[in-house]
Amino acid sequence: MNKYTCGSRGLMKTPVREPKMSLGTYLKTFKLRYSVFSWLTFAFCLIGQQALFAQSPTDGLMMPKGEICVLANYEFGHFDHYWEGSFLRENQTIATVHRKTALAMAAYGISQKLNVYLGVPFVSTNSTRPNGGKFAGVSGLQDLTIALKYEALKSQVGNGELSGYASLAFSSPVSNYLSDYQPYSLGLGTQQLSWRALLKYKWNSGFYIRATSAYIWRGYTQAEREYYYNNGSYYTTWMDVPSSWNHELVVGKWFFGNSLRLEMNLSSLRSTSGDDIRAYNAPQPTNKVNMDRVGGFVQYYFSSIKGLGVLAYYNRVFQGRNAPELSTLGAGITYQFKL
Amino acid sequence: MKTLLRIIILLSGLSLGGCFRELPTELEFDSYQFQGIDEDAGFWKPILLESGSDLSVPNPTSVSSPEYQMELEQVKEAIRTMNEQQRKNVNYWTNNPVIRWNEIALELIAKYNLIPGPNEDGTYTLPSPNDPDGPPVFPFAHPPYASRALAYLSVAQYDGLIAAWYHKFRFGRKAPFEVDPEIPHAYVTNQIPAYPSGGAVVASASRAILTAMFPLEAAYLEEKEREHLECLILSGENVPSDLEAGIKIGEEIAALSMTRASGDGMKNAQVSKPVSDSIANAAFERFGWKWKNLESPTRPVGLTPLFGKVKMWNVPNVEATRPGIPPTPGSPEYLEDVKILRKYANEVTVERRRIANFWQDGLGTYTPPGHWNDFAREFIVQYKLNTIRTARTYAYMNMAIMDAGISCWDAKYYYHYPRPIQTIEGFETIAGTPNFPSYTSGHSVFSAAAAEVLAYLFPQEAQKVRAWAEEAAISRVYGGIHWTFDATVGTTQGRNVAQYTIDVAKLDGAD
Repeated sequence: MNKYTCGSRGLMKTPVREPKMSLGTYLKTFKLRYSVFSWLTFAFCLIGQQALFAQSPTDGLMMPKGEICVLANYEFGHFDHYWEGSFLRENQTIATVHRKTALAMAAYGISQKLNVYLGVPFVSTNSTRPNGGKFAGVSGLQDLTIALKYEALKSQVGNGELSGYASLAFSSPVSNYLSDYQPYSLGLGTQQLSWRALLKYKWNSGFYIRATSAYIWRGYTQAEREYYYNNGSYYTTWMDVPSSWNHELVVGKWFFGNSLRLEMNLSSLRSTSGDDIRAYNAPQPTNKVNMDRVGGFVQYYFSSIKGLGVLAYYNRVFQGRNAPELSTLGAGITYQFKL
Repeated sequence: MKTLLRIIILLSGLSLGGCFRELPTELEFDSYQFQGIDEDAGFWKPILLESGSDLSVPNPTSVSSPEYQMELEQVKEAIRTMNEQQRKNVNYWTNNPVIRWNEIALELIAKYNLIPGPNEDGTYTLPSPNDPDGPPVFPFAHPPYASRALAYLSVAQYDGLIAAWYHKFRFGRKAPFEVDPEIPHAYVTNQIPAYPSGGAVVASASRAILTAMFPLEAAYLEEKEREHLECLILSGENVPSDLEAGIKIGEEIAALSMTRASGDGMKNAQVSKPVSDSIANAAFERFGWKWKNLESPTRPVGLTPLFGKVKMWNVPNVEATRPGIPPTPGSPEYLEDVKILRKYANEVTVERRRIANFWQDGLGTYTPPGHWNDFAREFIVQYKLNTIRTARTYAYMNMAIMDAGISCWDAKYYYHYPRPIQTIEGFETIAGTPNFPSYTSGHSVFSAAAAEVLAYLFPQEAQKVRAWAEEAAISRVYGGIHWTFDATVGTTQGRNVAQYTIDVAKLDGAD
C-alpha cells in the first residue's frame, strides 16, 4: 500500500510511475469534472453530474486493488453574465447567481485495472441582492453518480509511458429537485450515461499530457408543467435534455517526487441538439448548451500523513452558447487507505 | 475482466433503446363520428352577425352538371397523385380542424409571449404593430393579448360556421365521396352537406385573424391555410367550388371580426408614463397605496393599464363585475395574509410547488387563457363534438376569458394593490412576479370564467373544472406572487363575469 498512498513519498523510489490511484488525484479529477458539472448544471443545468464523474474516472490514474479513496470537496461558482443563444448578456432579474457545491466521493480499486467510483453533491443556489426578480434559491442533494474506469493500455513508449483508459458512468437524481427552475435548479433532473476514452502520455521528467473524449447521453427530465415551447408546442411534462460531446486537453507536471502536481486544462462541451434561450427569457432543460472552459488544478500529497492529500482548482468558462460565464473555485481533501 | 467490461458497455448502450419517449406536439386523435350534426345550426344566433344568412354564397352547381363532374375529376387526380407527406397532412388535420387552428394560435402565443428586455441604457422599448420586426418584435403575447386573439379567432370561426351551416343544409350538396364511389373518404363519415366547405371557412378565417394578430407569421399561416385547404380536397370531402364558397365566408367574417377588434380600445391599452403615473396616483389618493414595479431597471409602465377599458363581449359595463376593496396594508386581515404567505415561502412542500408550477403559465408559454383552451380541446374530442359545436365551445369560453381579463385589469389598475414582494420585507418567490398590480389575480379570474363556461357546456365535468379553477387561483399564492384575497375574490369575479356569457349562450338556439 505504501507505494500507492495518495501522498506516498515511496513513489519517489519509482519515479517513472506516478501514484496509481492517488485519491486526491482521483478526487481532484473527479472534482474537476464535477465542477464542470456544476457550473453547467447550474447555469442552465445542462451538464450533468455525469460529466463530472466521467471525468474523474478519466483521470489517468488508477487506485490499487483493495484501496479506497475518499474525497470531500467544496466549490463556489458564480456568474453575472450568460450567453442567451450566442449573445453574452447580463440580467438584473437574477443579478449575480451563486452556486455552492459540497461533494462527497469515494473510489475503490476492484483490481489494479478496474476502479469504481461513487459520489453525490449537495448544491445550493441563490441570487445576490439586490436583484429584480426576487426569486428564492434552492438547495439539496443533486445526482448520485456511479462510475467504472478500466485501464486498457499501459506501455513504455520513447521516454515515457503511454496509458489509455475507458470509463462508463451513470448518474441519476437522488432528490425531487425541479430541473425546470433555471438558473437556480440543482441539476438537470435526468439520468445520464457517459462513455469516455482517455489517452495519456507521461514523460520520465514528470510532464504529462492527457486527452479525453466523452459522449454523454442524457434522458428526459420531468417538469411540473404540461406545456412548453421548444421551437414549437410540446404538450407534455417531459423535456428532452440534449446529449453532448465533451472533450478535454490537459498538460501537467509532477514535482517533488510526485507529491505535488500542477495542471492546466482546456475543455469543451457541445450539445448534440436543443433550442436557444429566448430573448430575456429563462433557460430551460431543453437548451442547446455549448461551452469552452479553461482551468488550473493543483494537488499535494502530504508526506507526513500517509494517505492524505489536498487539492484546489479554478475554472472559467470563456465561450459559450446558452451557458453561464461561470467561474468556479474549489478545494478538497482526499484520504486514501486500504480496506 | 475485459469481456465483462465489454458486456457492461454494450448493455449500457442497449438499455437506452427503451428510454425514448414520445413528446406530443399536438393532441393526437383520429377523425371521429360526431355526436350529432346539428342540421339546424344555421339558425343559431351568431355573435357578430345578425343571422347565418347574412353572408351569402353563389348557388352551387348540381352534382350532375359538367362543371361539377370536371371538379370531381380534379379531386380524383389529386387523390391519385397524393404523396406521403400529403397523406400525413390529411391525418393531421382530421375532420375537426377547428382544434388544429386553435393549437396553431396557442403555439404563436407561446412563441410571442416574451417580455421585452431593457435596452443598453436601461430604457425599455414597447413592441409596435407599425414596426413588428422590432426589436422588440410585435406582439408581446401576454395573457390579455392572448385572451383577445383567441376570442376574435373563435368568434369568427363560430359565426363563419353558422353561416356555412345555413347554406349547407339549404343547398344540401353532397360531398364528392358520396357522389362518386370511386373517391375514397379519408375520415369517418358524418352526413354534413359539403357546400360551402366548413373547413375552408375555418382555414381562411383563422389565417386572416391570426395574421392580423401575429403579422410576422403571415407566410407561415398562409402555408398552413394552403395545406389545410389541400387536405379538404385530398380527404374526399370537398371539390374546389366547396372551398371557394367557404373561403368567401371565412374572409368576410374575419373582416367583420377584425373591424370589431380595431375599435375595441386595445390599441390604447398600453399607456405613456404620465398616464400610468396618474392612474397610480389616483389609486394612492383613493386608497393610500399604489403598486410599484420592482424590476431592475424599473419598468416605467405596467402591462396594459387600460385593458380594463377594452370593449367587453357580454358584460354591459366593467364596473358591474368590479370586486370590493381589498384589505388595507397593515390591517389585521392583511397581516394574517402576510403570515400565510411567509409560511408557504418557508415551507415549499412538494404539492404546493407542483401546483404553483403546473398553473404558472408564465412567460414563453401559452398563458392561462391558452391552458384553458388546451383543456377544452380534450373535452371536445372526448365528447365527440362536431366542428360547429367545437367552435361554439371555444367562442363562448374565449369571450368569457377575455371579459374576465378586462374585468380583472379594471380591478388591478383601479385598486393598484401592491404585490407581496413590495410590502413584505425580504420576501422571495418561486414564481415570477408579473409587471402589473396584484388585486385581483388574473389566473383566478381567467380560470374561474373559463371553468364556468366549460361547466355549462360539459355539465358532467363541472365539478372537475371548478376544482381546477380554484387550484389555479391558489397556485399564485403558493408561488408567492399573490395574496389569498387576490385569489378568492378573483375566483368569484371570474364566475360573475362568465355568467353574462352563459346567459347569452343559453339563448342562442343550440341548447
